[in-house]
Amino acid sequence: MHALGGNLLFVDLSTEEVRKEETPEGLIRDYLGGDGLATKLFTDAMSPEVEAFDPENVLVFAPGLFTGLPVPTGGKCLFMSRSPLTGTIAESVMGGNIGAELKMAGYDAIVIKGKASSPKILRIRNRFVDLVDASPYWGMTTREAQDSIRRDLKVNTVASIGPGGERLVRYAIIDCEDRQSGRAGLGAVMGSKNLKALAVKGTGDLTVADPKGLIDLALEWQEVMVNSGAYQDDSKYGTGEFFNWINEERGAFPTRNWQESVFDEREKVDPYYWAPRYTLRSKGCFGCTKACGKLFVITEGKYAGTKLDGLEYETLYSLGGECSNPDVEALARANEICDLLGIDTISAGVCIGFTMELVERGILTTEEVGVDCRFGNPEAVVRMCDLIGKREGFGELLGEGVMRASATIGKGTDRYAMHVKGMEPPAYDVRAIKGAGLGFMTSPRGACHLRAGVYALNLVGKFWRWDNVDRFSAEGKGEQVKWMEDFMTVFDSLGVCKFSRGFYYMEGYLPLLEKVLGWNLTEEELLRAGERTNNLKQLFNYSVGIRREDFYLPRRLIEEPIKNGVSKGAVITDEEMDQMLDDYLEERGWESDGRPKEERLSRLGLA
Amino acid sequence: MVLALVSHPENCTGCRFCEMICSLYHEGVVNTKKARLRVLKPDLLRDIPLVCTQCLTCGDSCCIQACPEMAISVVDGLVTIDEGLCSGCGNCKKACPYGVIWMDKLAHKCDLCGGDPMCVKFCPSGALTFEEADEASYTSMIATWRDE
Repeated sequence: MHALGGNLLFVDLSTEEVRKEETPEGLIRDYLGGDGLATKLFTDAMSPEVEAFDPENVLVFAPGLFTGLPVPTGGKCLFMSRSPLTGTIAESVMGGNIGAELKMAGYDAIVIKGKASSPKILRIRNRFVDLVDASPYWGMTTREAQDSIRRDLKVNTVASIGPGGERLVRYAIIDCEDRQSGRAGLGAVMGSKNLKALAVKGTGDLTVADPKGLIDLALEWQEVMVNSGAYQDDSKYGTGEFFNWINEERGAFPTRNWQESVFDEREKVDPYYWAPRYTLRSKGCFGCTKACGKLFVITEGKYAGTKLDGLEYETLYSLGGECSNPDVEALARANEICDLLGIDTISAGVCIGFTMELVERGILTTEEVGVDCRFGNPEAVVRMCDLIGKREGFGELLGEGVMRASATIGKGTDRYAMHVKGMEPPAYDVRAIKGAGLGFMTSPRGACHLRAGVYALNLVGKFWRWDNVDRFSAEGKGEQVKWMEDFMTVFDSLGVCKFSRGFYYMEGYLPLLEKVLGWNLTEEELLRAGERTNNLKQLFNYSVGIRREDFYLPRRLIEEPIKNGVSKGAVITDEEMDQMLDDYLEERGWESDGRPKEERLSRLGLA
Repeated sequence: MVLALVSHPENCTGCRFCEMICSLYHEGVVNTKKARLRVLKPDLLRDIPLVCTQCLTCGDSCCIQACPEMAISVVDGLVTIDEGLCSGCGNCKKACPYGVIWMDKLAHKCDLCGGDPMCVKFCPSGALTFEEADEASYTSMIATWRDE
């Protein structure tokens, strides 16, 4: 079949058994690839009683249907498991080269179970699959491990964890060449399985139905992208281009652990300041036409030697505003430490901001933390990232995530712990973007802007099917979030970057699917694949006990109106939260406690 | 002066679209290993597109000299493999220091897509250009590769 690697790979790390199956065409028709395929394989292989760190937890790697093919910005690889942070099904997507390499090696997904008796690398060289001793690389940073493994094992691409994943930081990442599968702690799942890395060399062909047609179409899309404003912005400033727009014109940039919503000391954190000064050039993922990555290099001063593919918008918040850190060099260094030690910058930053608030309130002392962990101390951010990644000192506790840390500290600190389902939130103050608030609630992996991506449509006021959207209103959000979740799931299933959603929408995929696969699909069929996937995810989450109350937002967003900026006074009331959730559940065809109804499941072919 | 493919690593984002499109255009399949150019990634900070159109004067590792069939020569300024003469021995591939010749039964290298290189069309960042390149600029391009 066109576009596919052609095989599914099943690996049991406990028994070292490796099994291959031809990828069933029906599975691709129903689930496309990436997110959809991973969800199907994960839910088939997983039992609800298996916890995240149990050897029997299932970990899936799945490149998207378009990954490896010349579809502009379509080179993503998705990782999925039961999250140690949230206990739910969780996916995390990365760019880099690993997805394309896996496809060229002949695989559409890898399903991993079990736990290796000692540190191992899963090595894949086309049809040759083996487990290699990873003890020489255990303890290495992500970058060092990948460079060494690539050289020693003679492979093209390596995705690995860092010390953070080895030490089971609950929000450890998987990294491939400085791109990260950042959220929900899938790196810790690898660590718990003694799996340091995936090392791949693929030399096989990927075929398409109409090569000439695909080349012409790809060129058209490239021209559309290159001539867009987004291309200019991304090339110059990266994903943080709109940072100060959200900060000042929308008043929705969470600051000081969400106590404020405008970051006043933002000057040097703004890409318009740092990009011309520190950026060497742009960096793109595999197959990306509009490279948003920025090679950030510090050549002198205290943090000389810092180099990374960054700084992403989210990290400008988490290691910047959230900690009230105005020093971009310290921010970059802290970001690099997170990447190298292998932890998520968003969750790490929120854990640090949480600690800073507790110190500010006198609930924790500087002595207890061991670092002068106060808002506005850039050095503390750097130091804390290091401690968390190595799980030393206070970092041992913070490596558990903010929900568990607050439970351990007690003293009513849960009201300062910002999370949904245990996952720390990204950089959108949802009191001023209510649709995104619902998106945080309904995301299967906890507080997340990317499952639904409704922040943009609410902030701008229009996108796809909607116009004149009021970001302060709770009306109509259930419908928006339901459809946007299905829409975004299609992107993750095809392996296309969500930053291209304003180019392709759904209709852009129909001619691409025809050239690539010879398929004539409709928009409805594509969205149904997304809906099917989201229903499977919810079935899993319901089976592990996720109920209505787990969807709720942290109390701060209900009880404390926004204090400063243009969104001052905005808050989400309990009534609004329930109304939005009820609207969503009705749109989904799910019970009020979250259980998918038979009727909807049978319509999707899942009953 | 002839038109040549010129690599500008300072503009390369490392996306490898050029490799994909090269293989799809010439071989009808996507396989970066069958591309007639490649992007070398020595470390995080460097992405270097390696191409060969004009003779790069590779010295001891010269594909032209390595070919026992004398199938490789410079035709109108373009290093060209005459596939009718190629015996598929692989000596040129072994000789090529830049890894831009690939083999199936015969050796293949960049032919400028007949005068309108696809890789250049698909490189919006300007890391690959098709331009009049004098010997000095070509020599300096090679010098940046030789450092690797």
